[in-house]
Amino acid sequence: MPSASSPDSSASFARTKDIGGLLEQEQLPAGRDALLEPPVAHSQRERLLVAMAQSAADKGYGATTIADICTAAGVSRATFYELFKDKEDCFHAAMELSLADAMGVIVAAYSPDKPWAAMVRDATAGFLELLASRPTFARMALIEAPASGGRSFQLYASGKRVLQSLLERGRDDPVEEEAIPSSVSRAALSAAESLIVGQILSGNTTRLSELLPDIVYITTVPYLGQEEALRQSREAEKHRTVADR
Amino acid sequence: MVARSQRERLLSAALDVVAEKGYGPTTVADLTREAGISRTTFYEMFEDKEACFLAAYDSAVDVLVRRISAAFEAEDGWPARVRAGLEALLASLAADPPLARLALVDVGSAGPAAQRRYRAGLQRVTPFFDEGRDFAPDGRRLPANVSRMAIGAVIGLVTDEIEAGRADRLPDLLPEVLFAALVPYLGPAAAAAETGEE
Repeated sequence: MPSASSPDSSASFARTKDIGGLLEQEQLPAGRDALLEPPVAHSQRERLLVAMAQSAADKGYGATTIADICTAAGVSRATFYELFKDKEDCFHAAMELSLADAMGVIVAAYSPDKPWAAMVRDATAGFLELLASRPTFARMALIEAPASGGRSFQLYASGKRVLQSLLERGRDDPVEEEAIPSSVSRAALSAAESLIVGQILSGNTTRLSELLPDIVYITTVPYLGQEEALRQSREAEKHRTVADR
Repeated sequence: MVARSQRERLLSAALDVVAEKGYGPTTVADLTREAGISRTTFYEMFEDKEACFLAAYDSAVDVLVRRISAAFEAEDGWPARVRAGLEALLASLAADPPLARLALVDVGSAGPAAQRRYRAGLQRVTPFFDEGRDFAPDGRRLPANVSRMAIGAVIGLVTDEIEAGRADRLPDLLPEVLFAALVPYLGPAAAAAETGEE
């Protein structure tokens, strides 16, 4: 999809807002449709993926055994090996599913005409809602996958790079003009992630949406300055409480 | 006396072995061999490998937080205090890359209890950041979780550097890390001014 016509097009997401191109570049599926399986295998497969996520959330990915997954899913060991090569393969598939949903949320928040801050707000709101609705997958994707090493870590990292590119769009229209470090989007993303992970670990995953105003502040302040970031944060709070009703 | 020194030997052995082998493959036998203690003595002190590792982890965090605290308290004015605290953090981690990796990266793969200790460790530096609220002109209007987020930003940058195999060069990261710590409290212009000094 991305017609790499101009020489600077790989870095041109900021200008073109080509989110489809960005997903393709990271080899990420844009939504769940890309992952459809034959009907029967689909349900057994999904049960295994859910069991994988659940076990990783409960006892950690490292301590999870294939026996744990099969027992929880009510699926035989033989079937497991028909669907997956090994535990890592199953974990990777579960991560792919989570990431597809997350990218779906981001694509939904995207619109070429929307101001950057509104896009950040809507993508964050959608992302928090998604995590809140799937606590075990949230835990797997943000706590176990980053620590797992290997292919699942790569998936996590590429998802993060997509979010980072979305944030870097802020550099296009900064209100304050001073030089800021190039790591600023990575830092802001880590700040938001840390807050989310803390909330998940303290068992309040279902109330993740409460973090929206704080995350809007931290992700916009380096680009927009404090006054405007506080204003965006208050807007987000209004948005959130309206959505809650 | 003897029990105490055996315990200390064991804790330091646990950090060394896990830093080298990773948490998963490490066995109680590895720990007793490295510490030069018997299996019986091990089980008198700790229930299992995990309990031992968690105690070792806490002791390492203690040392780190004490160093940061000493550097922070030695300065006047919040931005200078944060700069000194971050310098101490980066220098301590750079001095022992395997331990840095263990403390910030591998701890995540050691199970839920270890992950909670890691979070608890992060929270111990919250007071250093909370001072920023009093110092910042707009302090009272800042979001409730601003300190947690600032800590998350700092640790995120540091962790990325360790994961990229550059733990020994962490001190070079000071300007970026300082900017990330200050910007939520002071805004980009003032944070950049503080970062550019010296």
